[in-house]
Amino acid sequence: MGGLRARAAAARPGRTAPLLAGAGLAALLAWSWHGTAVDLPGLFGGEGMRQVATYVAGLFPPDLSARTWRDAAAGAVETFAISLIGSLLAVGLGLPLSLLATRTLLYRGILFEGRRPGPGARTARVALYAAGKALLNLLRTIPEIVWALIFVFMVGLGPFPGVLALGFHTGGVLGKLFGEVLEDVDPAPLEALQATGASRFGILVYGVLPQALPQFVSYALYRWEVNIRAAAMLGFVGAGGLGQRIHIAISLFQEHQLLTLILAIYAIVTLVDALSAYLRARLV
Amino acid sequence: MYELAGIRKVFADGSVALEDLSLRVGPGEHVAFIGPSGAGKTTLFRILNLTLRPTAGTLIFEGQDVAGLSDAGLRRVRTRIGTIYQQQNLVGRLRVVHNVLAGHLGRWSTATALASLVRPRDVAGAGRALEQVGMPEKLWARTDELSGGQQQRVAIARVLVQDPDVILADEPVSAVDPSLAVSIVTLLRDLSHESRKTLLMNLHSVDLALGYFPRIVGVRDGRVRFDLSPDRVGPELLAELYAGHRDEERQLERLRDGQNPLGAACRPLPGFRK
Repeated sequence: MGGLRARAAAARPGRTAPLLAGAGLAALLAWSWHGTAVDLPGLFGGEGMRQVATYVAGLFPPDLSARTWRDAAAGAVETFAISLIGSLLAVGLGLPLSLLATRTLLYRGILFEGRRPGPGARTARVALYAAGKALLNLLRTIPEIVWALIFVFMVGLGPFPGVLALGFHTGGVLGKLFGEVLEDVDPAPLEALQATGASRFGILVYGVLPQALPQFVSYALYRWEVNIRAAAMLGFVGAGGLGQRIHIAISLFQEHQLLTLILAIYAIVTLVDALSAYLRARLV
Repeated sequence: MYELAGIRKVFADGSVALEDLSLRVGPGEHVAFIGPSGAGKTTLFRILNLTLRPTAGTLIFEGQDVAGLSDAGLRRVRTRIGTIYQQQNLVGRLRVVHNVLAGHLGRWSTATALASLVRPRDVAGAGRALEQVGMPEKLWARTDELSGGQQQRVAIARVLVQDPDVILADEPVSAVDPSLAVSIVTLLRDLSHESRKTLLMNLHSVDLALGYFPRIVGVRDGRVRFDLSPDRVGPELLAELYAGHRDEERQLERLRDGQNPLGAACRPLPGFRK
């Protein structure tokens, strides 16, 4: 009893630590404010604001001619397709890589307590984990737009480099997220499966993945929502879709067409958000 | 069946779970393990089902020292040892049929295991196992929709499909209510008896152990304190076994006063009669 009380007292946090952390946070905030040259009067009061207002007013009315409609619709379909195929590619890349980014499947935790690993075997598995993690970091740190530039250079203009760009960047993101989900599953069922003599693969498909699947679907759908917006932008570097048409419209001062295209982006982003929400409700 | 000599287990944090534990269990024997929580019973069972490696000592299963086994060798031996846990060792999102058929995983090839998730193999076998535990109608139910007692029956059905030589049951009834506890313990006892399986069970409740098992092993502080038939396990031995563990001592007081928490389902116990 006395031991319990002593432990409770020891666990009570000191008063200085939060104060110090608070002061540190405030200093960081002040420094960042200064460093980013925040200028509110410049944002709202200056000449720039008036120019933007004039430009936006000049966009109206949207061009609703049959030709522009067709162009916007084709662009929207292409952007939708880029985001969908790109997201599927990301799942295809991220899922296998996530297995390499999961410590509990490679070298530690409940599945590795039954036997002393052979010399070097554990080191090799830790190295595999480190390599998987490093590859995912690389895929993730390079933004979609840079991947798009690289792939436009490699495979030429059009939607295909856009698909590859989304797949590679998002593959890195999903691989990391999936790995975290995999490490987080309840180990109790895995222990039971291992005790039946199941292989690691059997434990993976009967114990780990069924537990992880709802969160996998949820993360993949969320990234699809992010990707539809990203897909609309990738066109600026020549990777197809609405972005490419917007880039052209801006360059040629076709303001009314531009507004139609922007409205098309708005519509398609709303559509994907709704679709994603529907699928999430059905599947998760 | 089992020969343990000088088993010692020290965890990474330095805590000693088992200390110089030796034990022999013959084929077909039914043995209950009792002792205060933290005595090392669960650790012992994890060592017995080969999912935890002892720090020192030898474990011989069917004449074979398991220390030298490869991964594949370990898996082969594990297929012959079935384990039932306290609870929550099923995958809730899978249907009952898959959880039951998981008992085949030690034998199935990778391809068969995968294919069975799409189109279950051996549905008949899973159905028979569920029938033996008394709930054939739950074959296609989702596992997390079942009650705790029903899930425990699914876990038993999985072990029946696995068809091992030994059944290890680690506190199989701690999470279910007392009337159900008796039925699950008798079910396990009768099933192992029919198929001549060895049955080792960790039990929290002393009366269940004394009432249903011919051999009682008392474990405390990671050591075997006694290994006797139930009629020789008297109040003094039990008091010593549980000394300092207040909740579990209270259980003994109830026994001594002749109140049986399990009701008429359990025979009056020798040594506790007024």
